[in-house]
Amino acid sequence: MRTSRLAAAAAILTAGSLLAACSGGTNAGSGTTDTQVLTLASVDQGSIEDVIEAFKKANPGVDVRFTTSGADQYQQQIRTQLSSGTAPDVMSVWPGNGNPGATYVLAQPGYLLDLSDQAWAAKLPPAIKSVAQYEDKTYTAIFGQNGIGAVYNQDALDKSGLTPPGTWTELLSFCKAAAAKGTPAFALGNQDNWVTQIVLYALVATTVFGPDREFASKMEAGQATFADSPWTTAMDKYLQMEKTGCFQKNPLGTSYEASQTLAATGKTLGIIQGNWVVALLKGKNPAGKFTLKALPATDNPSEFLMPAAAGAGYGVNAKAKNKDLALKFVNFVMSPEGMNLFVKKQGGLPSLPDTGYTADPSLAELSTYITDNKTVPFMDQLWPNPKVQQTMLSGLQEIFSNQSTPDKVLKAMDTDYKAGS
Amino acid sequence: MTMIDQRPDRAGVAPARRRVTPPGGRLHTTPPWWFAAPAMVLFAFVVLLPSARGVYYAFTDWDGLNPVYSLVGLDNFTAMVRDPDAVQAIWHTLLIAVAITIIQNGLGLVLALGVNSTIKSRNVLRVFLFAPAVVTPIVTAYLWRNLLGPDGAVNSLLGAVGLASWQQDWLGDPGLALWSIVGVIVWQFAGYSMVIFLAGLQSVPKEIYEAADIDGAGPVRRFWSVIRPLLAPAFTINLMLSIIGGIKLFDQVYALTGGGPGHATDTLSTLIYKDAFTLGEFGYSIALAVVLTIIVAIASTGQYVVLSRNERAAS
Repeated sequence: MRTSRLAAAAAILTAGSLLAACSGGTNAGSGTTDTQVLTLASVDQGSIEDVIEAFKKANPGVDVRFTTSGADQYQQQIRTQLSSGTAPDVMSVWPGNGNPGATYVLAQPGYLLDLSDQAWAAKLPPAIKSVAQYEDKTYTAIFGQNGIGAVYNQDALDKSGLTPPGTWTELLSFCKAAAAKGTPAFALGNQDNWVTQIVLYALVATTVFGPDREFASKMEAGQATFADSPWTTAMDKYLQMEKTGCFQKNPLGTSYEASQTLAATGKTLGIIQGNWVVALLKGKNPAGKFTLKALPATDNPSEFLMPAAAGAGYGVNAKAKNKDLALKFVNFVMSPEGMNLFVKKQGGLPSLPDTGYTADPSLAELSTYITDNKTVPFMDQLWPNPKVQQTMLSGLQEIFSNQSTPDKVLKAMDTDYKAGS
Repeated sequence: MTMIDQRPDRAGVAPARRRVTPPGGRLHTTPPWWFAAPAMVLFAFVVLLPSARGVYYAFTDWDGLNPVYSLVGLDNFTAMVRDPDAVQAIWHTLLIAVAITIIQNGLGLVLALGVNSTIKSRNVLRVFLFAPAVVTPIVTAYLWRNLLGPDGAVNSLLGAVGLASWQQDWLGDPGLALWSIVGVIVWQFAGYSMVIFLAGLQSVPKEIYEAADIDGAGPVRRFWSVIRPLLAPAFTINLMLSIIGGIKLFDQVYALTGGGPGHATDTLSTLIYKDAFTLGEFGYSIALAVVLTIIVAIASTGQYVVLSRNERAAS
């Protein structure tokens, strides 16, 4: 009996010490909080590292503990951390609404610190300010902007003897000529469902927002719908491009990664994507020359608009352990030094004017469109909930695999839009 | 050390279990239940309590972030019945589970019978056939995603051997994608089933084969009347593992197709992930997870009852 009691006591002690060890792990960090240590979670893998180094150099004695992850994983992680009070001081936040890590979604329950009184907040251009704010207060430090267009591989174009099209009619002829030469015009990686929207956005910019720049506000006011608007024209044009042979065979079986390889190695003449793809194409073909141009959607080039929008930025945790240092970091990101470093590494364009940034020549046309106010935000950034976009993404895959029709998909998007936030 | 012989004796009666007397002289009996207490306490805190709390959220409209939420009763469950994506995902889940269970175990059994023979290369074959099972599923899934691409190795190989007409859009065709996923899983885990069947086959005493031979049983008769009943425990383990694995399948589907094209390969697990982490509908996705748990529980319990009855009948 004595042995049994001893064993029982040992078992309880073991369990107790295990539990104590577990709880000790959680508290271990809190005892060592240092005013010179900043915690940070970012999705900008590959570029944030340089910015952190520059920040540490500008602020000797400061340490930054950071983690980076992909968008999906990050959104899952940050929501759990915020709701359990373990989120870092500074974190990646997307502009506007429409995804689980977006400004509206995180600011509404009070998880983000109001950054309206920071010097840069007043300088943000209106299009970017609208998606950095929630209820007229600025919460997200947006440092860069991106655009969507047709990225051409110059070597492949030279080989084919073709030149980038300037109108919609020329685009279709370009596609036919390219297909006839055995090198399709554009690579399309629709297996990754987020890719399906890119061509559509490029077409929607001109066909929907060209005639009516206030279309998004009209949607919000309930005065317009997807199914009864030029969105149907954009969808039809997307499918016409597919039927004309603008894309390589089997886009639904082709991943984003595989589509980059096709465009980088000249198996297609280009790819319709965001400017971020240029750096990836150069990674696969360092000797290649790539240029981003507006995708023609009508026969009148003066009507062309390009989708260009704020990229993900940074927000400060309302319960940050080290608010001063967090603000210092965000202000560094928004300074000409931090911003130029970030966008140069990412291949984008700065969100603030007058940072002295010289854009990569491949992005010259996008830069001009932004300066001439001929851009519209990415369509999903002001949609009331993430479901509208998800319905569109899976719907486009269904249209490409003959499981659905444009009309059905646009009506389903209207239903999700009307469901509100 | 004293060995216990648990094989049936010639008369078919197992010898009475003898107690083992160690050198110290104390008798070894069944360990006291509280030896399991530390593990049980941990299990309760790490698994049971969080799971029970999780189930509560299935009856709320929590978005996974906002501390304010309200109870919505059974709304999430009724919404599921009206949600064509959820109904389709349940159907895909069951289809994949049944297909994997049948094909993977059928192939596993054939392979086990093959490598249980006396052919010279049997050990090398065993290693090769089992090798895919030791690789992380997400790695093999990404590998196959490339192999099954329109310009991937599978289509290139078909083209090279003159079977260009067999080339397919393996993961982009909604009618084929689900079966491509099944194929990848069977490729990876048929060797795993094989090993379990092989262990069962090798525990069959040689005398029984000899007796069957003397009685004039052919290969089919020998398999059906001698090997199959003795493999009953291996069947139970294999079928249980593959049906549970098939129902809760996530990694491979997510990596190969992401549930697409459209929703053509969405399973309950991929839908739970998307609803929770992409759409922020935690309450609804937890309700889906509760349904998944119930399906796993019913399928595994039902299967266990039937298979153990078969085991008893066979012994």
